[in-house]
Amino acid sequence: MSISKALNKSLWVFHINAGSCNGCDIEIVGAITPRYDPERFGIKLVGSPRHADVLMVTGPVTRKMKEKLILVHQQTPDPKLVMAVGACGSTGGPFYESYTLAGPIDDVIPVDVYVPGCPPRPEAITYGVVLALKKLEELQKKI
Amino acid sequence: MNQSENKLKHNIKTVIGPNHPALKEPVKFIFEMEGEKICKVDIAPGHAHRGLEWMAWRRNCIQIIHLADRVCGICGVAHSMTFCRAVEQAAGIQVPPRADYLRTIYAELERMHSHLLWAGVAAMELGFDTLFYKAWEVREDVMDLLEYLSGNRVNYGVMQVGGMRRDITSDQIPRIKKSLKYYEDLFFQLADMFLEDSVIRMRCRDTGVLSKDMALKLSTVGPTIRSSGVAHDVRQDDPYCAYGDLDVKAMTPDMLGGEVHGDVFDRIIVRLLEVKQSVEIIRRSVDEMPGGEIITEKLMMVLLKNLKKAEGEGVGRHEAPRGEVFHYVKLKAGDESPEAWKVKASTYSNLMGWLEILKGEQIADIPIIIASLDPCISCMDRVAIVRKGKTNILTQLELRELSREKTRELRK
Amino acid sequence: MTLTPAEIIERFQKLLGEGLRNSRIVKRSEGKQTRESVQVWLTLDKSLLHSAVKQLADIHYPHLAVISGCDVGDVIELNYHFFIYYEVPNGEVNVTIKVLLPKTDLTVRTITDILPGALVSEREKQEFFGIKVIDIPDSRRLFLPEDFPEGVYPWRKDETGIPEDMVKKLYEVGKGECGMRKRDDNKQPGHEEKAP
Repeated sequence: MSISKALNKSLWVFHINAGSCNGCDIEIVGAITPRYDPERFGIKLVGSPRHADVLMVTGPVTRKMKEKLILVHQQTPDPKLVMAVGACGSTGGPFYESYTLAGPIDDVIPVDVYVPGCPPRPEAITYGVVLALKKLEELQKKI
Repeated sequence: MNQSENKLKHNIKTVIGPNHPALKEPVKFIFEMEGEKICKVDIAPGHAHRGLEWMAWRRNCIQIIHLADRVCGICGVAHSMTFCRAVEQAAGIQVPPRADYLRTIYAELERMHSHLLWAGVAAMELGFDTLFYKAWEVREDVMDLLEYLSGNRVNYGVMQVGGMRRDITSDQIPRIKKSLKYYEDLFFQLADMFLEDSVIRMRCRDTGVLSKDMALKLSTVGPTIRSSGVAHDVRQDDPYCAYGDLDVKAMTPDMLGGEVHGDVFDRIIVRLLEVKQSVEIIRRSVDEMPGGEIITEKLMMVLLKNLKKAEGEGVGRHEAPRGEVFHYVKLKAGDESPEAWKVKASTYSNLMGWLEILKGEQIADIPIIIASLDPCISCMDRVAIVRKGKTNILTQLELRELSREKTRELRK
Repeated sequence: MTLTPAEIIERFQKLLGEGLRNSRIVKRSEGKQTRESVQVWLTLDKSLLHSAVKQLADIHYPHLAVISGCDVGDVIELNYHFFIYYEVPNGEVNVTIKVLLPKTDLTVRTITDILPGALVSEREKQEFFGIKVIDIPDSRRLFLPEDFPEGVYPWRKDETGIPEDMVKKLYEVGKGECGMRKRDDNKQPGHEEKAP
């Protein structure tokens, strides 16, 4: 099986907030505005996980959101990549211990690309998507 | 409501959410529909409940400032500033006047970027993508200025108990003034686009009305209560920082149109007026800023030691972009971490208001009404409609499409 | 007619008598010190809370910021942060009513009949402090997850608080031997069944 060639040209991104503080989410939306214009690479935010190639997950994953995150991950068609955006999603960051957190993200769903920063700049997020593209290419070579 | 009654009336239960990012209040809405009309609303918040107040028991006051920065990514100044002010009252610290002016400048820049962000989101929900990109273009420039001043785009990290961590130097002031002029010009363009467009008027006029009486009874705050005709603004009523010297006036929609409707359109007017007001406040603060120190105690170890000795309770209050933010702090002598810390964010107060204004509205109006109270709807991910026991998942895209369809119909 | 802070306290003194345990006025000034912000702090018997709020509503219909609280050993303090005389430049007065709830009797009367907007705050206090608000119109949980155990209250500092084994340390997840994060590439999410 090889990964569909269409994926090489454009990546559609679905963004899910798993209890983040909103900082990363705003920067993700900021990253799609004309200033950075990732749409020239075919990168675009979509409104349903069923259309997406990449899941962008933010936040330390609260207990209420855990199941929903797993559900969204299942709804995303294969092949898919998961990006953990922000420090709290990667390691806990400022929310390093709590009674209501089930994270970090890689403890709930497998993560392919980590974008550190609290919050990461739009440039960093775009770079993360580029890394995701590279990873897809590598996967393709292996197959 | 029991099953048989449900069938009889053909009521449909619609669930919106739960993913919605505004700080502690990511909200799941459960609507009971009668055809296209909403007859009952319920909310189930708490999906982003991270237990911040509990975490604070294990940290000292200076560490908590950085936690308070991250209560909400948009209100980066609001929460840390309010927390600092509460601690200052509890420990009896007086802030140097220059720091108060700096705080005001940051707070107003934040209001500008938050309101512009909101304007963009509201335009997107209505189907005006051009306007969305325009608003976010202006906003990116505000972010540039904030980055130029604080070094960060989102969580600024400039607050400290007893003052500020960063000064604004005299060579930075020309850049601020140049930017303010630029925002003002762009702002008039944006205001024209919003207020002169007949379709926006048709979609927003008399939609999602909150009466003055209800706004008061439900203790709503910020632009929500002001657009219902109550001139309630912390900056005016209970001045703090430099606002007492600047004579801030609460903005109500009758200043532009002469009358108050309390609808979505009025909320647009209030926010646009406030962007303009913020430009003026920043201009005056920059001009009138006194010199001198920006912090009472520069050495962090000494500050920590003083805070450890302090005992008392204090409250901090701030008119954040979405309304009043309130912090309560109780310090105990001999303890590094506060004994109690309570954060009240603006959306917390507006929760009850949502229930009221959504009643009797159409499903296609849900996005713009919810957006009009300025939670960030951008992450509202899906809507599940339970129809005769079957669940159809309506994505955010489809819901927005419904909203846009209504706009197109009105345009014809 | 606008009452001064001292007159406000006097009104409460007259109404509540001995029930008003303590009162103080705090004034703070910021910026160039041109304006003063006034706070009135009152400590009451908890049985008098409802009539005190009613009295406050007679003076001026209050805005409730929030109800905050603190577990101080044998009692739980509740602070009702009200604001009156808003809409007037520099005229607003903060009236904080503090009531003490002994842990043997953790009940307090609702104020939602006077101020419907207090519902959210009262529901939050119920789930986080384990108090009982009498006559509350809606006593469901608000913020905590559905599977959160009964009888555990996050803001309590005694044995009903958060037990240490409930605390998840996110920074320790996936830590390998040298402190490096270890990732298992074959790990799949817990639920393998198809999404509905």
